Amino acid sequence: MIELDTTQAADVAVVRPLGRLTMVHAADLREVVSGAVQDGRTRVVVDLGDCEFMDSSGLGAVIGGLKQARQAGGDLRIAGLQPQVMTVLQLTNLDRVLRPYGSVAEALRDD
Amino acid sequence: MPTATESRAAVLTAVDELARLRSLEMLDVLRRGPEERFDRITRMAQQLFGVSAAAVTLVTDRVQVHKSQHGPMALGDGPREAAFCDHTIRDSAMLVVEDATEDERFATNPSVVGSPHIRFYAGQPLEGPGGHRVGALCLVDDRPRHFSEAEQGLLAELASWVQRELDRTAELDSAARVQQALLPRRVPEVAGYEVAGMCLPAGSVGGDFFDWYHAPDGQLVVTLADVMGKGLPASIIMATVRAVMRSTTRDGDPGQALTRAAATLHEDLERTGRMVTLCHARLDTVAHELHYADAGHGLMLLVRADGSAHRPQDGGLPLGVLPDQTWTEQVVQLQPGDTAIAFSDGLLDLYDGTLDSLEQIADVVRDCVDATHLVDRFTVLARRLGVRVDDVTVVAVRRTT
Repeated sequence: MIELDTTQAADVAVVRPLGRLTMVHAADLREVVSGAVQDGRTRVVVDLGDCEFMDSSGLGAVIGGLKQARQAGGDLRIAGLQPQVMTVLQLTNLDRVLRPYGSVAEALRDD
Repeated sequence: MPTATESRAAVLTAVDELARLRSLEMLDVLRRGPEERFDRITRMAQQLFGVSAAAVTLVTDRVQVHKSQHGPMALGDGPREAAFCDHTIRDSAMLVVEDATEDERFATNPSVVGSPHIRFYAGQPLEGPGGHRVGALCLVDDRPRHFSEAEQGLLAELASWVQRELDRTAELDSAARVQQALLPRRVPEVAGYEVAGMCLPAGSVGGDFFDWYHAPDGQLVVTLADVMGKGLPASIIMATVRAVMRSTTRDGDPGQALTRAAATLHEDLERTGRMVTLCHARLDTVAHELHYADAGHGLMLLVRADGSAHRPQDGGLPLGVLPDQTWTEQVVQLQPGDTAIAFSDGLLDLYDGTLDSLEQIADVVRDCVDATHLVDRFTVLARRLGVRVDDVTVVAVRRTT
C-alpha cells in the first residue's frame, strides 16, 4: 500500500510505502510518484519509516521516481530507512545517488 | 483383409496419435495434480451453467484423466473407450449431447446406463503444442437439457481461458529451455584453478545469469549478473545483457568492458525501467590476479587459504541508473587455496536474507574441498527450499596450486 501526503507544500509530495515494497507494489509507487511529479510536485520524499523490506523491484521504482523528479527540475529523497532497506541501498552503491535522510523534515530542508 | 487405402489410413492415424500424445506430454500438466488456475474455471463453469459437474479432462493413450472438476456429481478417471471426451477430441468443433439415451454413440455407454447416469454432455476440445487435441472443458448433467447457441458461446469462451493457461505452461517451458541453453555447458580448463557455477531461477525463467569463456588473449572471463525483477520480462533483459557483455571480450580491462557495455545497454534499460547489478572479472593465471569490476552487485567474497574472509566494497552503480558512468577495475592477488566467490542476493535468502549470512556463506567455502563441491552445496540448499522467492546464482574460482 502506498500513501500520498500533499499537505506539506505546493511543490512537495510525501510518498509512504507501507509494509513490503516488492514487485507487487513497485508499479503502484511508480504511478503515485509519476502522478505527483506531473501535478507539479517535483520535490518528492519517499518516507520509508513503515517499509521493513524492499527488493530490487522496489528499489528500481524509487530510482525511476528519482529520474522523473530530476527531469522535471526537482528531486526525490528518501527518509527513515529501516536496516534491511539501508543494506540494499549500500550493497548496490545506490546510496551515492540517493542519499538517505533521517526524517521527512530533514529531507525537505534545503542543503 | 483391409484395403491398401485402409492400411495407410490406419498408419496415418497411429502417427497422428503419437504426435498427439507427445503434445500432451509436452504440456506437462498430467502429473501435477490439481491446480488452482484450472479449478477456478471449472468452479465458475459449474455454477454458471448449473450442471452436475464441470471438468477439464485430458485424454491419454488409455485413460481419461480429470485434471480439474467441480460439482455434486463426482467424475472418476476411466478407460478412454468409455469417455465422452474421447469423442470430443476427434473433431475441432464442440460436441453437444442433449440426451445421451437418444444418441446411439452413447446410449449403451457404462456411465449412461449405470452410475453416474450421464444424460447431458457438452465439451469443447483443448489443444496442446502443435494444435493436437489433448482434452476438453466439459459440462455433464444427470438430466437431459437443451444447450442454446448463447450457452455454447459461453462454454467456448471459458474453454479459451483454459487453453490460454495450457499455452502459458508450454510457452514458459520452452523459454526455460532456451534460457538454460544460454548458461555455460562446460567447465573451463584453467591450469592451477578450479571454476564452478550454478544458476537456479525462482520460476521457470529468471533474471540471473552467469557466464564464462576464454578471451582472445587466453584469459578466463567470468560474469555474474542479476536483472532487477523476475520472470519472463527479466529473462529478456538477461539475454540482452549477456550478449552485450560477450561483445566486450577484446577489452582487457573489466572496468573498460563494463563501461562500454553499460553505454550500449543504457537506453534499453532506461526505456524498460530496469536496473542490472553485475560483477565482471578476468583471471590472470600468470600473475595470479583476479581483475574485476563491480556494478552495484557487491556480493563477492574472498576467502583466503588461512580462513580469513573479506568482501570487496569498491564497486560502482548498477547499470541503467545514470548515463555516462564509468567503472574501474580492482585487482586481488590469489594465493594457493584462496577462493573468490560471487553470488546473487537470492543466496542470502537461503539464510536469513541479511548481510549476516555472509559469515555463514564463508563457512561453507572454508568447509569445502573444491569449487565444484562448494557450488553443489549451495545447489542442494537451494533445491531443498520448495519455493524459492528469488533466483539463486553462484560462481566460484579457486586457486589450487
